[in-house]
Amino acid sequence: MASLPVTVSKVLEVCNNPKTSPIDLDRVISLDPVLMGRVLKLINSAYYGLGTQVTSLVRAIIMLGVNTVKNLALSTAVIDRFSSRKGFSAINMDGFWRHSLCVGVTSKLIARQRGVDPKNVEEYFAAGLLHDIGKIPMNDALAEDYVRAVSTADRDRIPLHLAERKVLGLDHSVAGAAVAKAWRLEGAISDAIVFHHALADYEGEHWEVLFTVAVGNYFAGREGIGFSGNLYPEKLPPDVFDRLGIQKGLLENLEGPVNEEIEKAKVFLRQPK
Amino acid sequence: MFSLKIWGDRGSMPTPGPDTVLFGGNTSCLEIRADGRLVIVDAGSGIRQLGDSLMRTDLKNGPIDTDIFISHTHWDHIMGFPMFTPIYVPGTKLRIRGPITYEDETLETVIGSQLSYRYWPVRQDELAAKIEYEQIKESTYDLGGGLSLTSKYLNHPILCLGYRFEYRGRSIVTVYDHEPFRNVFPTDPADPSYDAEAAKEGDLAAREENEKILHFVEGADLVIHDAQYTAKEYTGSKIGWGHSSYETAINAAHRARAKRLLLFHHDPNRSDAELQELELFYQGKVGGKTGLLVEMAREGSTYIVES
Repeated sequence: MASLPVTVSKVLEVCNNPKTSPIDLDRVISLDPVLMGRVLKLINSAYYGLGTQVTSLVRAIIMLGVNTVKNLALSTAVIDRFSSRKGFSAINMDGFWRHSLCVGVTSKLIARQRGVDPKNVEEYFAAGLLHDIGKIPMNDALAEDYVRAVSTADRDRIPLHLAERKVLGLDHSVAGAAVAKAWRLEGAISDAIVFHHALADYEGEHWEVLFTVAVGNYFAGREGIGFSGNLYPEKLPPDVFDRLGIQKGLLENLEGPVNEEIEKAKVFLRQPK
Repeated sequence: MFSLKIWGDRGSMPTPGPDTVLFGGNTSCLEIRADGRLVIVDAGSGIRQLGDSLMRTDLKNGPIDTDIFISHTHWDHIMGFPMFTPIYVPGTKLRIRGPITYEDETLETVIGSQLSYRYWPVRQDELAAKIEYEQIKESTYDLGGGLSLTSKYLNHPILCLGYRFEYRGRSIVTVYDHEPFRNVFPTDPADPSYDAEAAKEGDLAAREENEKILHFVEGADLVIHDAQYTAKEYTGSKIGWGHSSYETAINAAHRARAKRLLLFHHDPNRSDAELQELELFYQGKVGGKTGLLVEMAREGSTYIVES
C-alpha cells in the first residue's frame, strides 16, 4: 500500500538529514496516515517485543530514539517509492490526506477540551488520522469499481460505505479491519477504523475514542475540509454528544484551530527548510 | 557461587598504556558464573583474555559451551570477538544473543562479518565452533540451572539492552550503555517548534521510562552502571550521547536500593589517577548516608555476590 506522495519526499528529506529534530520527525510521520500506521505497526511488532502498546509517536521517539524511528520511517517510505502504485483514482490523494488530518486534529482537540489524560491524547489523533485507512487498498486494488462506488454514493445520495457495499460487496470498515490486523493495530485505533460507521453496534471499551473520531469525521464533512468520497454521510446518533459530555456548539470553535493545524502541516510539508 | 569478573570496563576504545594499568584499558566484557554455569556479557577487547583464561581453566573439563549476551552492537562491545580463542576450537558451542537496531542485517552479519577477509584472515565460515545467533528483545529468559535473565531496553543511540541475571535470590544487573530517558521535545513555549501536546507527552514518557529502569534495577545485589562522565561534563556537551554521569549512576542505584555499584564504561581519556581521585570523591559524598557501596569497576577484579 502506497504512502501518500505528498509526504514521501518530505520524509526522505527529514529522515536523511542527520540533524533532524525529534519534533520534525514526529510531524512528518504524523502527516501521513499510511506511514503513521506502518511505523506504529513496526514499533508494536514482535520485533521490539515491548510490553505495552505504543500509540504515540512522541513516546516511540523517546523510547527507541530518533535514529530508530527515522530508520523505520525511511525504510517504509523507500519501500513505497519502489513499489508499483496505480494512484488514487477515485478519491483525490490530497483531499484524502486533508480529510484524514482534519479528523485526527479535530479528535485531538476535542479530547483535549474534554480533559482527557494527556498521555492518551495522541491516541485520539492516531485513531482519527487512520480511521479511513481501509479506503486506500480498495482504491488501489479495485480502482475501477471504487470509482463506481464513489459515483454511486454521489448519484444515489447515500453514504459512501453503503455504496461500497452495493458495488463491491464490502465497505472500507471491512477493508480497514484487514489493514488493522495486518499492521497489528489494536485497541482504540483499530476500533475507530472498524466501527466509525457503526457506533450503535459498538460494545467495546474504547467508545470515547470511537465517538470522538465519529464527531471529527462529521465535522470534516460538514465543514468540507478535505474529501474522502463521502458527500452524503449518515447522521450521527443523537446521544453521541451527550455521552461524550460535550455540546455540539463546541465544534463552532474548532474550525479556526483545525485549519491552523492543517496550514501548519502544509507549510511544513511544502517549504524546504 | 554467583560471581562477576570484569575483563573490560573501558568505554569507546581500548586504551593501553601506563595510565590505565589500575582500572584497565580493555573495552566491555563481563564473565558471570552461577556455580557450574558460565555466561558472558559483551565481546569488547576484554574477551580476548577471557578466552585465554577459559582455554586454561575450563577446556580441560570439556568443550566450552556458553551464552554471550551483547548489550548492543557498537564496535567497542563486539570488537574482541575475532580474538576469542574458543571460536577456533572444535566442540565449542556459543549462543550469541543481542538486540539489533531496525535494519536489514541480522545479528550474525553485524557481529560475524568482522570475520571476513577484508578485516581478518579467517572467515566466519571457517570457524571450528558451532555458533548460533539470536536477536533478542525485552523479555525474560530461563537460562537453566536456576539462572534467569530479564532484558530491558536502555536509552542509547541504537537499540541497547540491560541485563538482569538472577540466581538463588541474588541479582547482577547491567545498565550500560545508557543515559536517563529525557524529553527530547522542546518544552519552552518560546521555542518556534514548541508543541504543547508533544512537550507534555514527552515529559510523561521520559518519566515513565525512567521509572521502568528503576524497577529493573530494584534491590539488585550488584549493579554495573554506565558512568562515563562527571555531571559537569555531561551537561556541558554530552547530552544525547547515550552515557550517564557518576551522579546519575549513584542516584539511580541508591533510589533502586541496590547494594553495590560498579561505575563502568570509563571514558578513554580518564587516567588511573583521575579515576582514583573521582572514586574517593564520590565515596566521600555517599559515605555514611547510604548503605550503597560505590566503586569504580576494575579490570581483572572478581565480585562475589553469593559464595
